[in-house]
Amino acid sequence: MKKTFALTVFLLGGALAGPANNSLVVGTSQEPPNIYDPWNTNNLSITSEINGYLGASLIQLDDNGEASADIATRVPSIANGDYKIVKDAKGDVVRNSVTYTIRKDAKWSDGTPIKVADFQFWLKLENDDRVPVPDREPWNRAKITAADTDTFTITYEPPYLFADQTSPGLAPSHVMGAAWNAFDAKTKNEKDAKVTSEEWKKFLSAYTTARNLPKVVAGPFKPTAWRSGNSLTLTRNTNYWGQPKNLDNYVKTVTYRFIPNTNTLKVNILSGQLDALGTVGLTFDQGVDLARSERGKFKTYFVPGAVWEHIDINTRGQRSKDLDLDDPRMRQGLLYAIDRDALTKALFQGRQAVSNSWIGPISKLYKKDVNDYNYSPSKAKALFTAVGWTPGSDGILQKGGKKLTLNFSTTAGNTTRERVQQILQSQWKAVGVQVNIQNYPSSVIFGPDFLSKGETGKWDMAMYAWSNNPIFEEGNLFKASGIPTAANGYSGQNNSGWNNAEFSKLQTQAKTEFNQADRIKLFDRMQTIWNAEVPSLPLYFRVNTYTKVPGLVNYTFSAYTQYPSWNAAKIGWASKGAVEEYKQK
Amino acid sequence: MGTYALRRVIQMIPLLLVISLVIFGLTALQPGDPVDQMVFGNSNITPEDIARLRAAYGLDQPWITRYFFWLQQAVTGNFGYSQDFGIPALEYIFQNRLPNTLLLTVPALVISTLIAVPLGIFSAVRQYSVLDYLLTFFAFVAVSAPVFWVGALALYFFAISLPQLTGGLLSLPPGGLGGDMPAEAGWWAVTLDRLKYLLLPLMVLMLREIAVTMRFMRANMLETLTQDYVRTARAKGLADRRVLYKHALRNAVTPIVTLMGLSIPGLFGGAVITETVFSWPGMGKAILDALVTKDFNVVMVCLMMLAVLTVVFQLLTDLAYALVDPRIRYS
Repeated sequence: MKKTFALTVFLLGGALAGPANNSLVVGTSQEPPNIYDPWNTNNLSITSEINGYLGASLIQLDDNGEASADIATRVPSIANGDYKIVKDAKGDVVRNSVTYTIRKDAKWSDGTPIKVADFQFWLKLENDDRVPVPDREPWNRAKITAADTDTFTITYEPPYLFADQTSPGLAPSHVMGAAWNAFDAKTKNEKDAKVTSEEWKKFLSAYTTARNLPKVVAGPFKPTAWRSGNSLTLTRNTNYWGQPKNLDNYVKTVTYRFIPNTNTLKVNILSGQLDALGTVGLTFDQGVDLARSERGKFKTYFVPGAVWEHIDINTRGQRSKDLDLDDPRMRQGLLYAIDRDALTKALFQGRQAVSNSWIGPISKLYKKDVNDYNYSPSKAKALFTAVGWTPGSDGILQKGGKKLTLNFSTTAGNTTRERVQQILQSQWKAVGVQVNIQNYPSSVIFGPDFLSKGETGKWDMAMYAWSNNPIFEEGNLFKASGIPTAANGYSGQNNSGWNNAEFSKLQTQAKTEFNQADRIKLFDRMQTIWNAEVPSLPLYFRVNTYTKVPGLVNYTFSAYTQYPSWNAAKIGWASKGAVEEYKQK
Repeated sequence: MGTYALRRVIQMIPLLLVISLVIFGLTALQPGDPVDQMVFGNSNITPEDIARLRAAYGLDQPWITRYFFWLQQAVTGNFGYSQDFGIPALEYIFQNRLPNTLLLTVPALVISTLIAVPLGIFSAVRQYSVLDYLLTFFAFVAVSAPVFWVGALALYFFAISLPQLTGGLLSLPPGGLGGDMPAEAGWWAVTLDRLKYLLLPLMVLMLREIAVTMRFMRANMLETLTQDYVRTARAKGLADRRVLYKHALRNAVTPIVTLMGLSIPGLFGGAVITETVFSWPGMGKAILDALVTKDFNVVMVCLMMLAVLTVVFQLLTDLAYALVDPRIRYS
């Protein structure tokens, strides 16, 4: 009998995906290095996506950007008194604080109640110099004061603009506390940072890796098997307080299959081995390709995202001065010379909307009525002429005997960007701008000696993307203090080197403007300035491509939630009785 | 021969030290490091954060200082933690990756050799026959076709077209390692499940190996068959079979020993393209990923293992010559 079964399995080959056994099989092209690291020492998207199944937070956002309480009993607000802003005599906000009360039924997966001590433990380690978190904003200025074991207030001084939109993390102190104390004793007098680093890895890997799965979690699922390089299986955490009614109607297990090659991922979808894809997987082109082969077996989605594709113009160094790239008219001319509408229609079926600001349309700060720089070669030529560049005998613009030749770089091997380059190169050529394509591997482009060192003249235009969260927008990308220099360790993001005093002043002001309406006004002006000067040529906001089979409900995401795991508890099959609450927009 | 072997083993030590220095240096001198990736795209990171992270990962030291720190630890058996996976680099390679690679590459080498050697002999003995032409055609196609293309075709055919043609009765899984079968299903089911996932990458990997070894064997055999001693053996009236297997084959097979000897370290290095196309989590992909993400400890474990295997198997190959060729003696 067993042999017959084995032979059947061998011949049929298919994985047990789908509603048949009320499970969900998700494909992704990346495997996380670790999962449920409370301090997020790796910040990969796939880690965040999987952590969505395993974790819980005091408050969380839904697909519409609306906050809801998870571990907390309610969403803090000024109206209910849980969010407080303290001003000085001049009216400036000097600190703000948020009070949270933990639900009585909030428990770790081993049944231990979640207490204030778990948040305190998390914050203590987050701010410990030995813990290699990439940055500590805003936790380096946060302090937790416990009212009792279930209620605490977190105070930010200086104040934190998004204090009511975010919440501190938590870590199971009853599980990790003793090991942390041992780590602390062993390394507190250690001079060699490498030794401390190795000890930290030992500590963390005991709770987060394939060999040592997280011992407890707080979210709707818990990890039960992780076969390195192959798959990760999660099963329901029965101690999670937010499980839906009629739990049997919702998926019982979620299996992630790690398929690094995206073409192989495609074959897996076409052959019905996967119920859905995660957010790290298909390219846009592959999504378009799959959309043609759906035949009712799956559906392809293109979800508007928060990743902004653009071309930085280098305004620093002698070369940029010689080429007049530090003159806004020159940059405006370059933008008028390209037909972005036609480009997105030709390459992206118009699914990736042209942008005219670095802020996405979904954000409350987005300014719609800015100059849209519609394709106008005549305006482009007029602007170049105004700066002194006139066509030579070969049609190429010249000034003082020097031809206008720009070096245009992007990440080599990114076929979408390379195709965009080809189109833009020919459009610029049509107005007399000669563009040389000089691409480099991403390790070079994003390495220490390229984008951040614009003053060396290694690049004139660089195409890449920023991920802009629609809520936590501070205008950091173009502030003057964000220009990478030796003094700031080349840590800023303003790679174009654009320095506008009014923009930077407004940006500083907006960082401490707690009134949303006034903040919108400040960003309105900032976007007007930016749009007039265009230090970067805005291209489009990327969409996230994924597929899922019909009947899978509550597997959705938006630019706010970013990953379908935000609503992990409610994911299920309609045929099994799962109730649909959110539709994919 | 013992003295010769000992001398070669001693010579390996300085050679491996130089290799480790070169590998470490080349890896360290690549542009970018893990901290650069963290810095880029994070508007909240401060110069202090960068300094702290660089110190934590030891990247604030010159690469030569880091090399000697690595060497000092390595001689005690501590090869450090994988930057990407947070587990000891040795464990990542020897437990998570190497077994998968060997499961794929060892059967590929053994089976392809068992198939290719007789085919090569047959092709040489029946030179210019229809079968020789067919085998030659197959060999050129198999060698010329890029592995990623053959792999993709195989995936589409066996995972999509075949089930469609057979109404879902026959199919092979589109990549992956398999092995998710519950133990209760019985060892038969578990073994067949693993085999099912192994089959496609194995076939694609073997295709090229069969072609290369077969052509190699054919060429050697043809050369041997024209030698004087073969003609002499035939002139003495020996049976064809005896001439072929006793006189020609033993001489023709010596270069195959070299080929096999040099192939063995490659078995441990994995087959990066096949592994990538079939999502087979093996060594080739591990090495590539570690190089891309600058996971120094993993890079060093992988490349040093390959270096050790290469020099060891070169020695073993040299020693094996003495066994298969009576003319070779070491002193």
